[in-house]
Amino acid sequence: MLQLMILPFLACLVLTGIHAYLGMHIIKREVIFVDLALAQIAALGAVVAFLFGIELHTMNAYIFSMVFTFFGATIFALTRLKKKEVPQEAIIGIVYAVTAAASILVLSKAPMESEHLKDMLVGNILFVKESHILKMLVLYSIIGIFHYIYRKNFFAVSDGRDKAVKQKINVRWWDFLFYASLGVVVTSSVEIAGVLLVFSYLIVPAVCAIMITDNLKARLFIGWAIGTVTSLIGLYLSATYDFPTGAAIVCAFGMVLILIWPTTILFKKITVYGN
Amino acid sequence: MKGSLKVFALTLLILLAASQYSFCEQKVNVVATTSDLADLARNIGGDKVNVVSLSKGNQDLHTIEPRPSMVINIKNADMLIVVGMDLDMWAKSLADAARNSKVMIGSRGYVDASANIVKLDVPAKVDASMGDIHIYGNPHYWISPANGRIIVKEICDKLIELQPENAGYFKKNYDDYVSKLDQSIKKWKEMLKPFSGTKIITYHESWPYFAEEFDLKIDGFIEPKPGISPSPSHVLSLEEKIKSDGVKLILVEPFYDIREAEKIAKDTGIKNVVVASSVGGLSGTGTYLEMLDYDISKIADALKN
Repeated sequence: MLQLMILPFLACLVLTGIHAYLGMHIIKREVIFVDLALAQIAALGAVVAFLFGIELHTMNAYIFSMVFTFFGATIFALTRLKKKEVPQEAIIGIVYAVTAAASILVLSKAPMESEHLKDMLVGNILFVKESHILKMLVLYSIIGIFHYIYRKNFFAVSDGRDKAVKQKINVRWWDFLFYASLGVVVTSSVEIAGVLLVFSYLIVPAVCAIMITDNLKARLFIGWAIGTVTSLIGLYLSATYDFPTGAAIVCAFGMVLILIWPTTILFKKITVYGN
Repeated sequence: MKGSLKVFALTLLILLAASQYSFCEQKVNVVATTSDLADLARNIGGDKVNVVSLSKGNQDLHTIEPRPSMVINIKNADMLIVVGMDLDMWAKSLADAARNSKVMIGSRGYVDASANIVKLDVPAKVDASMGDIHIYGNPHYWISPANGRIIVKEICDKLIELQPENAGYFKKNYDDYVSKLDQSIKKWKEMLKPFSGTKIITYHESWPYFAEEFDLKIDGFIEPKPGISPSPSHVLSLEEKIKSDGVKLILVEPFYDIREAEKIAKDTGIKNVVVASSVGGLSGTGTYLEMLDYDISKIADALKN
C-alpha cells in the first residue's frame, strides 16, 4: 500500500509547491474561481481541436488548449476594470458557465463521447506516473523561476491596480502574464489531479497561511507546510479507509482549515491580551 | 548422528512436500471489472478461486471512481477479466498503477472476455473524423445469455491454463453451468416468443445483443449520443417515432435518468421498465442467471398487459 501511495505523494508535493504560491496571488486578486474557468477553457480548446480532426492528448491538441487558455488570460487581463461595479468574479463565473456549456454543444455534434471531456477535468492522482510528475516538475520550475525573477511586478499587480500604475508597471501585460502562467499550470494539474483537488491546493494553503501571518515569506512556507501535511493526511485516509484519493485529500483540506481557523483566533486573542 | 541426519532429511522432505502441496492448493486470485464477469468466474472457479469484482451492478461502467483497494486487488491478482472493447478502460489505468506483470494486457493472466464474441455495431470504416468512438463495436455483449456461454468458456480455458492440475474440476463446473444456462435460455425464449418482433426503445445503446437473441427490434435511444442528454427536438422525434412505428416498451437501467424515460412513456402511453444490465443492479439480480430471469420476466409482464 505504501508503495502505491509514493507517486501520488510526490505529485502532491509538486502540486503544493506551485499552487500554494499562486494561491496567494489569487486571494489577493479576489479571483477565487479563476482556475476552474481556465481549466474549462483549456478543455473547450481540446474539444474544438477534435472538431478539426485533432486527436485528444496529442501535442496539437495541447497547442489548441494553450491558445484557448491564452485567449482566456487575455479576457481576464482586459476585464479588470478601474470601476469595481462589475466584480471580476462575475466575469469569471460567466466565462466558466459559457465555456462549460459550449463544450457540451460541441460534444453533441462531434463524434466523441462525453467521457473524454471528463478525462480532461477529472484526472486521478492515484494513477499518476513518474513521467507526469517529471513533466510537471520541469514546467512548474520554469514558471516558478519566471515568477521569482519578476516577483516585484507580479506582486505589485496583484496588490492593486493603482499601486502598480504608480510604479509604472504595465498592468494589462503583467495581468496577462499572470493568467497565462496560471492557465498553463492549472491545465496540466487538472489533467492529473482533477478540478476539485487543484482548486483546494490553490486556495486552502494560501487561506490558512494568510490567517496565521502577514509576512509574505512566512506565508509561503506555512502554505507549503500545510499543503504537505494535508496531502499526507488525505493519502493516509484514502489508503486506510479505501476512499477515492482525490476526494479524501480535498476533505482533509477542509478538516485542516476547520482546525486552523479557531486556533488562529485564539492565538490572536492571546497575543492581544499579552500586549 | 546418522539417525538425526535421517530425521532431518525426512523432516525436510515432508516440509518440502507440504509446501508443494499448499502451493498446489493455492487459490487463483481472480479480479473482474464487473459483477457479471465476477459471478461467471465464481461459477467456474468454485472453491479453487477467490473472486473480486471492481464495480457494483448499480454503477455506470463508463464512470467508475477508482479507490486504492482496487489497485491492491489487481496487484495481488493472478487473473484479470475485463469486458474490453474500450468499455472498462479505467481497468488499464488501475493495472498500470498496480504494476502486476502477471495481468498486464497481453500477458498470461489477462482475459479479455470479448475475444470470441461476434461483435455488433462495428463501424465499417474508421477514419480520423470518427475519433475513437466504439471502434470495436458495441461493448454491452454480456447481457445476451448466448454470449454468457462464450464468456464462461473463455474463463474456463484460462483457469485451466493457470492451474492445469484442477482442469477436471473447472471443466465439470463449466459443463454444469452451461447446461443450466442452456435450460434457462430455452425457458426465456419461450417466455418472450409471443413478443417476437416487438419494437422497443432503450435509454443507452446497451441492449442490441439481448434484442438480437430474443428477436426484439430496437427502434431508437433516449440518449441521442452516449453521455449526452436528449434535446427537445430529439424527444419530440422519438415520441413521434414511438407512435408511428408502434413501439411498445422503453428499457432503462437504474443509473440513468429514469424520469426522462417515464415522461416519454407517459406522453406516448407505452410501458417503461427498469431493468438491470449488470448483476446486482437491482434487488433480486444477485447472479447472472437471476439478473436475466428478472429482466426477462419484467419485459414479458410489461408486454403481456
